[in-house]
Amino acid sequence: MATIEKFVVETTLESEIKPYRKIVEDVLTDLAMAGKISRIHVVVRPEESLFLMVATLRRVLPLIKVSDIAEVSTGKVEGTVLIELTEEKPLPVLLELLWDKYGRNSVDQPERRTLIVTTGDSDEVNNVKNIVVDDPHKSLKATLADMAIRASPEGFRVRYHSLTGSDFIFVATEDQMKPEWVEEANMLLEKLKGD
Amino acid sequence: MAAVLEPYIYEGGIHKHSLLVELLEDLGGYIVQKTPAATEVTLNMLIPKRDVHLVEELAKKLLGKLTKAPLTGVEIAVVTPTLAYHHLPHSACDVAEHFRRDGANTNMIGLARGMGRRVALSSDYERKLINEHDVAVFTFGTFSDCIINKKTKLFEGVRIPIIVTGGPDLNTEDVPGADAYVGNIGRISHRMRKGQEIESLENMNRIVGEIVDQMRENLSRDPVSVLPARVMKEIQEQIPDINYVLTPAPLTLQLDGIRVKLPFDKYHEAVENIELDESTVLSDVANITPSKMKDYILVKIKRKSDTGFVI
Repeated sequence: MATIEKFVVETTLESEIKPYRKIVEDVLTDLAMAGKISRIHVVVRPEESLFLMVATLRRVLPLIKVSDIAEVSTGKVEGTVLIELTEEKPLPVLLELLWDKYGRNSVDQPERRTLIVTTGDSDEVNNVKNIVVDDPHKSLKATLADMAIRASPEGFRVRYHSLTGSDFIFVATEDQMKPEWVEEANMLLEKLKGD
Repeated sequence: MAAVLEPYIYEGGIHKHSLLVELLEDLGGYIVQKTPAATEVTLNMLIPKRDVHLVEELAKKLLGKLTKAPLTGVEIAVVTPTLAYHHLPHSACDVAEHFRRDGANTNMIGLARGMGRRVALSSDYERKLINEHDVAVFTFGTFSDCIINKKTKLFEGVRIPIIVTGGPDLNTEDVPGADAYVGNIGRISHRMRKGQEIESLENMNRIVGEIVDQMRENLSRDPVSVLPARVMKEIQEQIPDINYVLTPAPLTLQLDGIRVKLPFDKYHEAVENIELDESTVLSDVANITPSKMKDYILVKIKRKSDTGFVI
């Protein structure tokens, strides 16, 4: 938890802060979020059935393109593009994307990390290089929502969440959502950023 | 007069453990559960009190460990508001596992709609299922307001003793409807293994042990007509199909009954006709009903005041 600059948990009773902080810490650790969040503030008011979480992210991560994970060059045969992956993990996603774009028959995989795409045009190299394989921001958004849901009390199923740039807001309750709670969360976020 | 039986757990190598089983048979004790795991074996057993030293000596010779297991023969329902990650695997599994260390059989019951404050509720089926056990342990969370004011509605219709675990330090009187409250075991998302956490679990076992002792004492005033362990032995001998059941505890002992994990429709007559002695069959001294758990058979043994005799 040392990497988080600011980590505040507030509950109605002071004695319940420590155990709830531990729950949030465990969730952050489980989802490996500690390195991605710089500041976080959590407020729980059980008597109002209210859970608020605001957080700021470390930085907005860039898109991951094929050129970041592979060496792309013109194939030996004219009209083909050779992709040599440096890691295997993004392979399934890349294959799906290539199949969608060029068709299954045009993608050949002679080896685990080597792909030959028949594009019919050798200039296609640059296009292939720019294919976006992963959008960390998008996956981070999903993980952030998951993190907030895990950290919130069970049964608080009426939720509001937003991720604007590096600012994350989450409000959960089991009753009707009140606009002033979202407002309160926004104010908390401003305060968190201002500190 | 039946011998007084003491519950113990033997942990040791599987090599020559049959000597222990034979000795126990000779002494008139019972093996409640046998759990082999690779080269190790765990035996939950009931040993006649005056012969405990004989078993201890043999266990020592076999380089095994014999420890007292006060919760042997007790079936505990560990009830969580749901089966979601808020409760599982921690802390509900930690709680259940700690009970098993003292010999209890535990069943995890996740309610369908037990989560939240205003919306928490339990169904008739769930309450009946919980009532089939000896003791119910409800595992709640961090907030005292929820535990005191909201979650207690889940106890409605539960007739067996209720033990509540939760995060805050509360008194039992603070939690309406609970027979005991154990603090420092609230919502926890990590394995409970630190000193203080283990201490809380030990405390919980001690409190449940006290409640079970009280229940045993009440039971001894009007004893069951036949010992559940005796019924277990008779079922093992007279219904050999029980040996082919793959669930962890095919015959689960309770303080005043036994859960037989065989399909009710096919086997209830066989269970009813278990011969206990020349003139008595099991249906004379017990109510045999379909269990709410799967299609199992639930045997609840009648008291002496009901039948007029003890076998």
